Amino acid sequence: MRYKNNSRFPLTTFLSVLVSFLILCGWSDAFGEDAAAKKDLPARSIAISAEYTGIIIKADDDISMDLTVANKGRQDEDIDVSLTSVPKGWDARIKTYSFDVTGIHVASDSSKSLTLKAEPQDGLKPGTYIFRVLAQTRDKKLSSSSQITVTTTPKEEEKKVARGINIVTSYPVLKGPTDGKFEFSLEVENKLDKETIFNLTAQGPENWDINFKPAYEEKYISSIRSKEGQSQTVAVVVKPFALAEAGEYPIKVKVSSPEAEAEAELTIVLTGTYKLDAGTANGLLSINALKGKPANLSIYAKNTGSATLENIQLLSFKPENWKVEFTPENIETMAPGDFKQVEVTITPTDQALVGDYSVVLNVDAGKVSKTLELRVSVRASTAWAWIGIGIILLVVIGLVVLFIRLGRR
Amino acid sequence: MQGLYAIFKKELRDHFTSYRFVILFALIAMVSFISSYMAGIHMRENLEGMSGVKFPFLLLFSSTGALFSMIQFVSFFGPLIGLVLGFDSINRERAHGTLIKLVSQPIYRDAVINGKFLAGVVTISIMLISIVLVISGFGLALVGVVPGIEEIWRIIVYLILSIFYISLWLGVSILFSIFFKGIATSALASVALWIFLSFFVSLGADVLANTIVPIGNANETTPEDVIKNYRIKETTARFSPMVLYSEATATIIDPMQKTTRTSDLINLRMNPMEEMLSSRFENPLTLGQSLLVVFPHTTALIAITLICFAISYMVFMVQEIRT
Repeated sequence: MRYKNNSRFPLTTFLSVLVSFLILCGWSDAFGEDAAAKKDLPARSIAISAEYTGIIIKADDDISMDLTVANKGRQDEDIDVSLTSVPKGWDARIKTYSFDVTGIHVASDSSKSLTLKAEPQDGLKPGTYIFRVLAQTRDKKLSSSSQITVTTTPKEEEKKVARGINIVTSYPVLKGPTDGKFEFSLEVENKLDKETIFNLTAQGPENWDINFKPAYEEKYISSIRSKEGQSQTVAVVVKPFALAEAGEYPIKVKVSSPEAEAEAELTIVLTGTYKLDAGTANGLLSINALKGKPANLSIYAKNTGSATLENIQLLSFKPENWKVEFTPENIETMAPGDFKQVEVTITPTDQALVGDYSVVLNVDAGKVSKTLELRVSVRASTAWAWIGIGIILLVVIGLVVLFIRLGRR
Repeated sequence: MQGLYAIFKKELRDHFTSYRFVILFALIAMVSFISSYMAGIHMRENLEGMSGVKFPFLLLFSSTGALFSMIQFVSFFGPLIGLVLGFDSINRERAHGTLIKLVSQPIYRDAVINGKFLAGVVTISIMLISIVLVISGFGLALVGVVPGIEEIWRIIVYLILSIFYISLWLGVSILFSIFFKGIATSALASVALWIFLSFFVSLGADVLANTIVPIGNANETTPEDVIKNYRIKETTARFSPMVLYSEATATIIDPMQKTTRTSDLINLRMNPMEEMLSSRFENPLTLGQSLLVVFPHTTALIAITLICFAISYMVFMVQEIRT
């Protein structure tokens, strides 16, 4: 016990001394630095500044601009803000999100934002207008001001006429097969200030069939009447030339009126047509087969479209227990105009009854497929006939031998 | 040949002038006419609402008008013609003592039996051909359908099969007339054999099949059992010439029949898909295919007919005829 007591005393003393030293040190250090930073600042200083001191706006447009009020002094300040000069023809005020503001408290070495709102009154002439804002401490010892120059430009009436039509299309590029029908949807907006008839013209590749029609209506049109400020949907129906090659084709659509015109560029990406033909070399769709014996037939597949066909499956629909085999089992790719021969082996089950059966072969290229229905005539094997004839011959020979040996001639 | 022709001519004359032939022929002809007449009447009614009936002419022979069809009737009672024509051919000569007189003429001994058999076959052929022709005439008048080439060929094949079938029974009765001295004995023996082979074999086949593979309890019988049972029945029944003949002729006369088996087994054997794809083309078989299907039957019929005659020939040639 005594031993323990003796040993603990110096440790606790040491720890408490260390901790108090550290606390004192840290505190005096932080305090010292803060005081030093404050010493760098002037005793009192405020400033008000606008985000932009000169702007150009259109007549009739409102102004909304950030004002920054900064306190750069060592003590917190209550600052009155006011607009000392508002040009004639404008209504202006200083506000925050929720209030109009006349005074603001800014803590030492910080800044706050206010908003200058200015609305022009009707009939304001274009020109240059100057706004002044003043910031003043409560004791009027310090003040700061800022100046904002606003130049208003006249309304651009002439320009608006020049771009009086607006064409918007959501899907300017369409992709599809050559034998397909493409339909673009255009939104034509009349920005003129009167009702106008617009002519619709389109320019595309040669031999292509391009027509305009109203949305949801089946008739072709070449002009539309549109009221001011209204937008109308027009469908552009494009039928590519049947022999067009795969590729990208631009189509220019022009909407024009005497006062204005607008153009839109549409693009069609042709992937070619998907067409497949299949058949037998001589056109015969029937085949004879013996029970349990394979019968061969060769069919061809031809890509008659203008796009490449890929992964062509060869399938069959057949009676159970029958075997239908293809060589090759499937065709990987076929370029347009390609011609492939496929050997088909049909093996009826050896239990099959004599007669005609339907076997359906299907050449399936995913997008297109071709079906061939074959009539397979299962025939009886002639082996039995020969055996039978052999037996009868044997019997007849036996009879003849009997005649000769027992004939008693 | 001189002797053979003389015997043949005499036998033929005997056949056509005998009362029993006339009675028998009248009976067979009458029943055949009635059955085909009934078939014709029914057919006319049936054909009115139907289209695309293939080979309507053959229906005259195969459709069951009243009780049985023409071909069924021939398969049942055709053997009687053969039996009646042959049961006393040798032993009657023997009993009357004319056989010794016959062979003492400048006639070879085998000419006697050959001539008798040949005369029987020709009689049978004339009977059958005339019946078939009369029925065809009936059909033309009654139904108004003209047979096509294929139908004519099928009827010819049917005729040949029928001639062989009845000749088989002629051979059997001649064989018995050589074996047995008594006329009544040989007649009874051949009738007994006919009844046994035609009726009891079919019954016996049922019994045998059910003994080996019992079916009937629906829960315990598997489809394999049913097929096995049927196979045994079928194989056993085919020992009967009547079964062979009726299976063969049914297939020949009905081109739509694709197997000699009866329909219940086909249903068992055919898968649904197979059935569907097969019924896609409801085509009749060609004559060649029908012939190939029944070729084993045909072979068996012709072979046993020839063998039967060969045995009669052999027995007769080595027999002592002077006593």
